[in-house]
Amino acid sequence: MEKKYTYPFLILIALLIICFFVNISLGSVSITTKEIFNSLIGKADNYIIQNYRLPKAFTAILVGSGLGISGLLMQTLFRNPLAGPFVLGISSGASLGVALVILGSGFFGGIFTTLLISKWSVVIAASLGSFLVLLAVMIVSSRVRDTMAILIIGLMFGSITAAVVSVLSYFSSAEQLQQYIFWGFGSLGNLSWNELLIFFLIYLTGVLMTIVSIKGLNTLLLGENYAKSMGLNLKQSRLIIIIATSLLAGTITAFAGPIAFIGLAIPHMTRQIFHTSNHKILLPAVFLFGAIVMLICDSIAQLPTSDYTLPINAITSLVGAPVVIWLLVRKRKMLF
Amino acid sequence: MKKISLLLLFLILVNCKEDKGLPVKHQASNKENPSLSYAEGFSVENYQDFKVLEIKNPWPKSDKTYRYALVNKEVAPKITLNKDEFDAILITPIEKIVVTSTTHIPALELLNVENTLIGFPDTNYVSSEKTRALIDEGLVRELGKNESINTEVLLELRPELVIGFGIDGNNKAFDNIQKAGIPVIFNGDWVETSPLAKAEWIKFFGVLYDKEKEADSIFKNIEADYLEAKKIAQNVTQSPTVLSGAMYKDIWYLPSGTSSEAILLKDANANYLWSDTTDKGSLSLNFEVVFDKAKEAEIWISPSYYSSLEAIEKASPHYTKFKAFQNKAVYSFVNTTGKTGGVTYFEMGMARPDLVLKDLIKITHPELLNDYEPHFFERLK
Repeated sequence: MEKKYTYPFLILIALLIICFFVNISLGSVSITTKEIFNSLIGKADNYIIQNYRLPKAFTAILVGSGLGISGLLMQTLFRNPLAGPFVLGISSGASLGVALVILGSGFFGGIFTTLLISKWSVVIAASLGSFLVLLAVMIVSSRVRDTMAILIIGLMFGSITAAVVSVLSYFSSAEQLQQYIFWGFGSLGNLSWNELLIFFLIYLTGVLMTIVSIKGLNTLLLGENYAKSMGLNLKQSRLIIIIATSLLAGTITAFAGPIAFIGLAIPHMTRQIFHTSNHKILLPAVFLFGAIVMLICDSIAQLPTSDYTLPINAITSLVGAPVVIWLLVRKRKMLF
Repeated sequence: MKKISLLLLFLILVNCKEDKGLPVKHQASNKENPSLSYAEGFSVENYQDFKVLEIKNPWPKSDKTYRYALVNKEVAPKITLNKDEFDAILITPIEKIVVTSTTHIPALELLNVENTLIGFPDTNYVSSEKTRALIDEGLVRELGKNESINTEVLLELRPELVIGFGIDGNNKAFDNIQKAGIPVIFNGDWVETSPLAKAEWIKFFGVLYDKEKEADSIFKNIEADYLEAKKIAQNVTQSPTVLSGAMYKDIWYLPSGTSSEAILLKDANANYLWSDTTDKGSLSLNFEVVFDKAKEAEIWISPSYYSSLEAIEKASPHYTKFKAFQNKAVYSFVNTTGKTGGVTYFEMGMARPDLVLKDLIKITHPELLNDYEPHFFERLK
């Protein structure tokens, strides 16, 4: 790693640690710092800290960094600053899976109603949904060479999903609609340690696949023809990147709901601050940034000391979007 | 006669905002004015030849007041009313009605007029036995799923009146029905907060069927029954702590202190832990807060749609840390359903607050009602 990036990285790591502790200490119930510390090192038992706030903070880190990374991958792969996990239709596929499980009982009746109770059915449906959409996109992409076309196909899948969801909603009861809407708000504080472990393993696979393709990503930035002339196996790289993205975005949507803004904005924020397109720098930076922003958003969403919590999905957009606008206006020029 | 009533029915107007008053010749006689003790969402004024039904609060924060003239069919040919003064003019007693919520069904049955019901949206939700029998005989037409009414079928049925309900007054289906000349009256029973006020809406149906006296006496019985149960509950000094609702993700949704659920718990002499909250509608609280306050609560009532302890545990391991869960003191009404799956509490609960209250007393102070069998609530297994 080049030397000039050492300080920024140290600052980011320090920030991440601070944000992590701030996130754990803030919440609706006030808990003394001493008690928080004691329950962190296992000296005291505090259910709220150990089984609610800690898994929530780790979820925030995984969600923020994972979405940031998948956004970065999409933007590089499609050489398009507008790309994000939503664009390939991956998130839409996950939403469709969830809609089929939650709203489907009104439409199909029978067995779907019993499935409703289990949280895992939502997770499985979301992963399956994003995987199927991914499969469809890959089949299409093997026929269509142009990445722009794949981008548009992804958007089309998004429209199809929206249409199916609205048909399903029409036949659903108020309670089912409510559940689906609540899912759409996104949530970080819903995972137990076991669920978090599974989430982490899938996340790790996605991140490892990304690390493997760093060289390919850097070459891709210079254009597909150049990448080819560099001897890069374009098809294989594309495949790995797409699978990594769908693993990351699919599981995140499955476990935390569709979280807006992070996937699109974090890579832009990182590029603005680090002034580089080198993925060796960008990838860890996006990881740190995504995690920090998500922890901050979650701390705000918890509305410390009040009894209420705001939907995380609203906060990510409300807090993050102005930051990106401000960065772009200040620099007058987009780095990409 | 039929022509006149059709003509009268045709005279629907949108919302008359000015208070134009009534022509002098229709002096209020005010005798037999059904006095309302609890309900605030409607009123009835008696005039010599007709009655005026006013609906004041058909949905939360509504600023509209609807006025309907109700004319007995014997008198109808003899009088003329200024159609501009009313949102609709109706001939009573109503002979063909469509209601849109299962909560309206018990009122029809209590007044013995369920045979006037000719259509209902999603009839599977109806559990009340007499109406269920009519549906099974094919006398009640299916009007489509849920809140979206099949307008064509409804227009073909041509009921004299549709009893609707609105969340905010924007319902295209109802607009179309009104345009076609079928009056829609919005029932605001669910907007009332006190359980007795909700039940008093039986008088609203009473006046539509010229059965005010019956409605009055039915309500008096329910009221007396309710107040007696409440009195019995006050006899004990110790009131168990109660938790309600459940989480979706990490947000716990539970009734606020002003809701009728909270009032019922208070009247059952239970200590609902959020009884001092004043929010409108339900509370949506962070898991931490609920856990902190209610982990020691003795009883857990209405854990959302969960129908068994196993389902609750599956949904989140957090639930198992609550004392009420560990002691299996979790009660819900979702397992008490009619023949076709409708939850009877949703249908009957509003009309029979006395039964709901007794159910809750049986849960919180079982020793007070030894021989009583709960109608809606069941201990979850």
